[in-house]
Amino acid sequence: MSKRKDWWQVPRVVFQPDTYRGLQSGIEQIVNAITPTLGPFPRIVMFDQTIGDQGRVPELLDDGGTIARRIIELPHRDADMGAMMARQMLWTLREKEGDGTATAAVLFKTVFDEGLRYLAAGGNAMRLRTYLDEGLRLIDAAIDAQAFMLEGKHDLAKLAIAVGRDEELGKMLGEIFDIIGEYGRLEVRNADGRHYEREYTGGMYWDNSGWHSRSFINNMQKQRCELEDAAIIMSDLDVEDFRDLIPALRHCVRNGIKSLLIITKTLSEETKTMFMMNKTQKRISVDVITAKTPGMSLDAQMTNLNDIAAWVGGKPYVKAAGDSLSNIKMEHMGRARRLWVDERNIHIDGGQGDPRYLRSYLADLRKAHGNMRDFDDREAMQQRIGQLMGGAATLRIGGNTKTEVEYNKEMARRAISAMRGAMRQGVVPGGGVAFMQCKPMLQAKLDAASDAEERTAYRILLHAMEAPSRTLMQNAGFEPGEVMGELLHAPAGSGFDVVNGKVVDMREAGILDVTTVIKAALHSAISSAAMTLTTDVLVHRPTAPDAAMTT
Amino acid sequence: MENNTNELPNIGLVYDLACTTGGQTCFAASGTGLRRSTDGGETWQDAYASLNLEEALPTTSVVIKQLESKCCVIAGVPGGALYSTDAGETWTATSVTSPAPAVSTLVISPAFSEDEVVIAGTTQDGVFRSANGGRSWTHWNFGLLDMSVYCLGMSPNYAEDETLFIGVESGMFRSTNGGRAWREVDLPFGYDSVLSVAVSPAFAEDSTLFAGTEEQCLWKSTDGAKTWQLVGDAVLDGPVNALLLSPNYPATPDILMVLDESLLLSRDDGTTWTTLLTGDVSTVLAPQGMQPGTSVLIGLMTGEVISHRL
Repeated sequence: MSKRKDWWQVPRVVFQPDTYRGLQSGIEQIVNAITPTLGPFPRIVMFDQTIGDQGRVPELLDDGGTIARRIIELPHRDADMGAMMARQMLWTLREKEGDGTATAAVLFKTVFDEGLRYLAAGGNAMRLRTYLDEGLRLIDAAIDAQAFMLEGKHDLAKLAIAVGRDEELGKMLGEIFDIIGEYGRLEVRNADGRHYEREYTGGMYWDNSGWHSRSFINNMQKQRCELEDAAIIMSDLDVEDFRDLIPALRHCVRNGIKSLLIITKTLSEETKTMFMMNKTQKRISVDVITAKTPGMSLDAQMTNLNDIAAWVGGKPYVKAAGDSLSNIKMEHMGRARRLWVDERNIHIDGGQGDPRYLRSYLADLRKAHGNMRDFDDREAMQQRIGQLMGGAATLRIGGNTKTEVEYNKEMARRAISAMRGAMRQGVVPGGGVAFMQCKPMLQAKLDAASDAEERTAYRILLHAMEAPSRTLMQNAGFEPGEVMGELLHAPAGSGFDVVNGKVVDMREAGILDVTTVIKAALHSAISSAAMTLTTDVLVHRPTAPDAAMTT
Repeated sequence: MENNTNELPNIGLVYDLACTTGGQTCFAASGTGLRRSTDGGETWQDAYASLNLEEALPTTSVVIKQLESKCCVIAGVPGGALYSTDAGETWTATSVTSPAPAVSTLVISPAFSEDEVVIAGTTQDGVFRSANGGRSWTHWNFGLLDMSVYCLGMSPNYAEDETLFIGVESGMFRSTNGGRAWREVDLPFGYDSVLSVAVSPAFAEDSTLFAGTEEQCLWKSTDGAKTWQLVGDAVLDGPVNALLLSPNYPATPDILMVLDESLLLSRDDGTTWTTLLTGDVSTVLAPQGMQPGTSVLIGLMTGEVISHRL
């Protein structure tokens, strides 16, 4: 007699109407957990951390993406699938944009619930999806038309305050981004005290580098090697023999160059010794310091050498091309007004390369950045562009406790991400007004439509466009119906300021949303909801009761 | 039209001219020093006399501001600047940075009496900013990808909008935070050098400025440097070394321009031009405006400063 299988060992196939019922239940649980966090008065969601670790303080969250991610599994498997759909959408959005998850959750649920009502009455899911996707494109274009750029530190600060929910942080970020620009290099670190601090460094620097030997230090106070009006040899070569560098030194002497930075992957002890002897004995009238090729990998080293060459001029000498420093020409050396090398970095100020080439090089990098889809690739390219723009800022975050510091840093990172997006693609009126302003266009499409699914799609989208505003009002304790009535008669661009409880021009009031975040939330929500509506069958695979869910 | 030649000793090319309002006290910066006139350019004396220099000190730029209790003058010299608070009677030297760059151009804040801001452009190190009348300088080059600065233009409303424009070897940059950071200005002709820039006195209302280039002639923007239109079509051919707008621009749309080494005047916002002087012109100043009959000061390549009645 064969052994009877337990329930979880048997694959289970779920058909309509259980499919929709299950998905809807799961989506509702995730979205309802996140919805209260939308707006300037977010409610907190408390997570139990006592499982397997007695006595730990519950985790308090107000970020939609993180909340969704913490909900790992729902007990009912059909609902769990719906929840995981929503969860994946929200976490991906959070990773890419850093914000917009609560808005996406509200939009997603509205579109899904209303779509489901139509399908339950006999509608066609695939046709409905087609029209929802078309409507999405139209809304996207309508939001683009509302976008405008922020200028000046005051406008930037207003946005930073709205996202980071901290006036001191917001003002500081407004000033920082007004200086470093949308690509500028900004590092976030812990402060020693309770407050925020910022500092700026001019010039360009590359980390994952540093001196070959601390014996080259000529500024003991700052513990670094410094040169002025220096020539620069850029390479990823291994220098074993000092004689390979003699042609370069001859070029310097003939051309009256008194300082030389040599960047190589490695430097033999013999060569280091020769340069140190020269430092004391002055046999060659050239001050030489050496540094390691910046970058951890071969690709990174090549990229960094090309970037340095764009800034200082000259041409990198690379192993892959079979180059040798014994053949170096004078015009292949870069020049810089000032530079220093410490244990980990090369810092160059006043590169003397061709500015036309540098500007054109950067324009190409910015174009490439705009075309990148992968988040990590975009981040890496943005840092590279920021590096070449010259200068960097450091924001130090303080707080009374370690937890507070970590929270402030998280708020700062969100605000920073939002500000970069705002500076690149602009902002739109906030508080859900950007969506509301798409309604006349959708109404016109609805009026012109004759196909049943098309009319339903536009009807659904019309309701969805109001959902974020309504939710914001509810969360702030206002009655959405009353306020919507007031907004009907208000001029275009008006919205409800839930903090002050009145109808205002959102742009003038500084209540803004980042265009990239709003559009990303819109796309994620509507296309995910449209796709989920076309789900007809669920199949549950066998799984042991204590198996961990993968993310 | 008359030329009055107020010959100076042969002191090399005149780079820059500056006057107090009304033009009574004037300075001429040249390759072999700084000259001062206290009679509107009629006669000139060595402004560095109090320094007892052994050799002439090339001076590439000069700005002046008459305040209630003092007359501030800042002169750009190799390695830094000299500042005076007594109209050039005595001088104090300040260095800009090390290694010392050459200061190529200076501009002084219209609200100098409150903010004491002076901006210096250099040939190799970009822009420096002083907030104490030239006594000390800070290097602020965020976003400045081209360190060879040829000219500076400042908004007349600088106290509110903190807007600056610089002409560099590869084109133009703009700052809206007082020179702390710079953004590229997209010019329609690519990366040609911008040798001169003139900002409308009514910039707060008309957002107008002009850019003179090395090979692409003269351009005008009416939206704060976002878009540009060519001025004068193919009539103008040559490097635009200096530009000056009427103090009443745009109501009086007069423009003086040094095109190559000639001085040209337009009375219709650059549509048509009259050549006033041909050859050896390096710079021009109109301390009394540009109405017909007024005199302008013209700096020459030979070191002379002449006055010319319009």
